[in-house]
Amino acid sequence: MEPIELERFEALVLPYLDAAYTLARYLVGNEHDAQDVVQDAYLRALKYFDGFRGAGGDDGRAWLLAIVRNTAYTWHRRHRADALATEFDEELHSETVAHVHPETTLLREAAHASLRHAIDGLPREFREVIVLRELEGLSYKEISDVAGVPVGTVMSRLARARKRLQEALRAEQQER
Amino acid sequence: MSHPVLEAQVDAYLDGELAADDARELEAHLIQCPECARFRDGRIALRAAITAQVPALEAPDALRERVRAALRVAARKRAFRPIAGPVLWRSLALAASLAVVAVGSWRLALQRAAGGALTDQVLASHVRSLMPGHLTDVASSDQHTVKPWFNGKLDFSPPVYDFAGRGFPLIGGRLDYLNGRAVAALVYGRRQHLINVFLWPAVQGPAGGPPAATRQGYHLLRWTTPEYAYWVVSDLGIAELRDFAALLAHGDSAAATPAR
Repeated sequence: MEPIELERFEALVLPYLDAAYTLARYLVGNEHDAQDVVQDAYLRALKYFDGFRGAGGDDGRAWLLAIVRNTAYTWHRRHRADALATEFDEELHSETVAHVHPETTLLREAAHASLRHAIDGLPREFREVIVLRELEGLSYKEISDVAGVPVGTVMSRLARARKRLQEALRAEQQER
Repeated sequence: MSHPVLEAQVDAYLDGELAADDARELEAHLIQCPECARFRDGRIALRAAITAQVPALEAPDALRERVRAALRVAARKRAFRPIAGPVLWRSLALAASLAVVAVGSWRLALQRAAGGALTDQVLASHVRSLMPGHLTDVASSDQHTVKPWFNGKLDFSPPVYDFAGRGFPLIGGRLDYLNGRAVAALVYGRRQHLINVFLWPAVQGPAGGPPAATRQGYHLLRWTTPEYAYWVVSDLGIAELRDFAALLAHGDSAAATPAR
């Protein structure tokens, strides 16, 4: 690759390093692995840069974040932390995960960190839409592109995630 | 209007995603309906709490340096790497020697050699995809999940069909890199066998590769429609693989017909 091409690539995607890191951190759960995922994602992005140039309308952010997301999911598959996890099921998981992270756990957390913990406690598919919407300010369409699901699914996942976070917030306020 | 619908509208409203007409209607409703107004206030409070307690993170400086260094190394490697690996060079050497024999057939020989290299690339991609953790980037048997997943990742939207009813369930999709471009890879199953379908927009010029080949125990089929170049690879028996290719070719032409 020509140096000038590399410069074009860097100018396009390096401004989104913070966004990439934030998403990776929330998807893999710790800073160290998030850094590995980000580096891997940038190398993948470089590899697919030719393919991106054909796609119009994208400023590169959603494109990069989609690669970060996929790299994080690959990381999860490789590390098999949840090796036998069943495929994500909208209905099933939105009900049962409450048992894994009961409100009593949330209540025990220091109040200032409770929302962050509540986000970490969400199923990955809910967590990513919250991070992309609330922390990164992506539009529904951009989130749909990054997460590879229809806009309607983005909306219902956001609604469920927010309901869960709202409960955590309420619990925290009662604790005070 | 029911409350779940209104709640979804309030979310879209606060996210700035609601159309102006609907937003005006909703605002009028919020004035009259304490329940919806309470819901809205709760969401506003949540938003404020997230902003206050959960800031977006800043990448450490060390990471920025690491990423830049890694990109430099990767870009340099790409600069010095032969276009399609050693196989192409060997083929080119063969093509060149043929050209000495018959100048007129040089062009054809070069094309055939390049096609052979593509066959090798496709086979290598298939074998790599079978290694643990490499098969799919999006795992879903739902064509309406797999197809939109490619949005923003490719400069084309590949046709995706599920042939579960015919014994070839869709397993998922993946990005791959072939023939000097990013391509769509679709994964199908047949009993314990896996099938990779690679496709990218058809271009004029050398199509490359024989229509069918067998390498290292894998069968490869390829064809070109007006829209797409297709490669199909599997360890499945050749007869069953041809059945699958026919389904795929039929699905694609069925989709294309109304557009013409």
